Amino acid sequence: MATVQARSELHDVIVVGSGAGGATVAHVLTNLGVRVTLLEAGPMLDPYSEFKEHNWPYDFDHRGAGKGATQYLGNNNDSKPFGFFTTTSGGWQLEGEPYTVADDTDDFWWFRSRIVGGRTNHYGRMSFRFADYDFKPRERDGLGWNWPISYEDIAPYYDKAEEFIGIVGSHEGIRSAPDGVFHEPPPPRAHELLIQRASHKMDIPCIPNRRAVLTRPINGRPACHYCGQCGRGCRTGSNYSASQTQIFPALDTGRLNLIDMAMAREITTDANGRINGVVYIDKRSGEERQLRCRILVLAASACESARLLLNSKSNINPEGVANSSGCVGRYLMDTVGYDIGGVVPALEGLPRYNSDGAGGAHLYMPWWGLDREGELGFPRGYHIELGGGYQMPSIGMFTGVAQEAGYGTAIKDRARREYGTRISFAGRGEMIPNASSYCEIDPNVVDRYGIPVLRFHFKWSNHEIRQAEHMRATFTELIESMGGTPQLPGVRDASGISIGGSIIHEVGAVRMGDDPRESVLNGYCQSHDIDNLFVCDAGSFVSNPDKNPTLTINALAWRASEYLANEMQRGNL
Amino acid sequence: MPYPTTSTTEVEPNGPTRREVLKQLALAVMAAGTASFNLEAARVVHEITNNTKIQTGTYTPVSLSAQQFRTISRLTDVIIPPGGGGGSGTDAGAPEFIDLLCSENEQLATIFRDGLTWFDDVMRERTGNVFVETTEPEQTELLDDLVEVEQGRGPTDLRAGIGFFAWARRLTVDAYYTSPVGITDVGFRGNQVLTSYSTPPDAIAFVNNIADDLGL
Repeated sequence: MATVQARSELHDVIVVGSGAGGATVAHVLTNLGVRVTLLEAGPMLDPYSEFKEHNWPYDFDHRGAGKGATQYLGNNNDSKPFGFFTTTSGGWQLEGEPYTVADDTDDFWWFRSRIVGGRTNHYGRMSFRFADYDFKPRERDGLGWNWPISYEDIAPYYDKAEEFIGIVGSHEGIRSAPDGVFHEPPPPRAHELLIQRASHKMDIPCIPNRRAVLTRPINGRPACHYCGQCGRGCRTGSNYSASQTQIFPALDTGRLNLIDMAMAREITTDANGRINGVVYIDKRSGEERQLRCRILVLAASACESARLLLNSKSNINPEGVANSSGCVGRYLMDTVGYDIGGVVPALEGLPRYNSDGAGGAHLYMPWWGLDREGELGFPRGYHIELGGGYQMPSIGMFTGVAQEAGYGTAIKDRARREYGTRISFAGRGEMIPNASSYCEIDPNVVDRYGIPVLRFHFKWSNHEIRQAEHMRATFTELIESMGGTPQLPGVRDASGISIGGSIIHEVGAVRMGDDPRESVLNGYCQSHDIDNLFVCDAGSFVSNPDKNPTLTINALAWRASEYLANEMQRGNL
Repeated sequence: MPYPTTSTTEVEPNGPTRREVLKQLALAVMAAGTASFNLEAARVVHEITNNTKIQTGTYTPVSLSAQQFRTISRLTDVIIPPGGGGGSGTDAGAPEFIDLLCSENEQLATIFRDGLTWFDDVMRERTGNVFVETTEPEQTELLDDLVEVEQGRGPTDLRAGIGFFAWARRLTVDAYYTSPVGITDVGFRGNQVLTSYSTPPDAIAFVNNIADDLGL
């Protein structure tokens, strides 16, 4: 494969990756007058051909089973994660782009998106600020490491991100769930009111959810129209996706040069070890191309950014770029996931109504055990996400009902009776970074582009296992208090927790810190080793609190972008 | 009543196709930059999606033989019969759905071809006739037996057919609840464009009563 020679143009800032981090950088920098070149490994997003918002299952001959019945009998490569109707572009397995799992690890799943906007096109849109104590976890219980920044440092950027993105929520004054800049939240659905009663009975707060959905128009984006189909992609852009909310407007500034189908392969450095460009593969032609830049921002996802750094070895950087600490790839975390559903017979007979709402749950339960830590048998905490309601019928929804009913009118009777009586709880808890969870370059495997792939090591510790046990007990008590019968979760690790990576909150691997010997980045997501390199995805995370990572990726990237622009202006970069 | 076969090539006899309208909307949005897409446009998209015209006609199976298609048609109507409110398996287009998936997935086609042959063989042994030529009581008797076997009881010589029966029921039920008649039957009210969301007072009163009864 011939490398097309570097074009003479010197790009001011090159960003790799267009998800929550990269899109925030592109949006903030272009608004500050900085020219940005953005590389995305997938194609441009077209909401009109990609999104299936408002379609009925019978609009398709296969009803959602997928071409070739892949949702029934497909393999990982062709069945769509989360169902045919979701807007997901990517998955656990990408053809020609393998990763490996080390012998010491039972399993690890790595979800990758290859499209403008990345995983924000399909994500759950839970938008929780980290709490003040989340930035200083070692001070809390002696475990893990502290962040080099505090809540006060990031709070103004949470404000900016929330204001721009649009988040529903309410002011509650709960320390574990700091309040933000909120849109009016939608009122609770019927089953959520029942869950709230059960929750309050157990002294667990159950408050309006915080999700990236608009309930009033902002920035030319109309308010939510309450079809509940956020996961399919929103044609009106009334929820947050990096593509519609940030990339498209950034393109309108005329200062963003978007290069899609560009798979970054290697970072190049000059004789002094400073970044001077990036090599990528143009997927359409298969040609390798080189771009020169003054500043490079990686936002390819935590593990993909680590991979790029580790794959950029040279005489001057024998362990990869920005890796004098040896920390690149280390301290990889996912979220502790534990889900239990259950049928609540008391909900039989609930009047039918349109419960679609603003998509996702309208209520959630923030961590409530802060004052009892030390008594619970595990460190840190978790929040609880809710499910239920009269969801649009889809393939598989009544398989269990039909099996129990046998056949005939009994199926129809039972389906009418049980429809809408199923509720679910999803615990999302903090994993403490450990030395056994990391990614490295597999010396024996390359992808279709010849790029060495990642090999994962992953292990839950007893901290997480005991936390999941607490989730199981809590959800069981909640469901039983409503007269329901708990049903154990599906895909799980041997320990009972979700398989590592399967919650798609993989963070860390390029962590920030005060000490350059123990961390890769400083508090501005800037490399300790090389000042013209930034990492603005979740790679910088020092810990993985019980708050879904996207909003914090947005806020950190926003802060880093302002710092970067300021440093450029001052002539320091 | 033959179920109108759906098609993704929507036909709008007296107007632009849905695809054209969507394209116009898309162009308008692209021209305006970001998603400056108003509620009215959302409603238009929604209504067009809702009113998608469905091509009607007699269905010719593409994977199953004519005899197999008759058998699966009858079987889907035993699994989801027309009585008791709602509609039937054939009302919901279950046979066409199954035939389509079989045409695109050889593993599924084998399950159904072998299973339908097995069904006829068992019926021939029991009654001297193939499945579609037997009486309704004979057909329900076989399904009663299959359900018994599935639950670990019943005649052991039927065990070979359990896997197929489960597939036939699964696809029939999926076809039913993803069809207009099934969606109406179960009472789904959503997939609308609204200006605000509220939970109806009678639903709130219902759950508050439940919570009171449960002592919550």
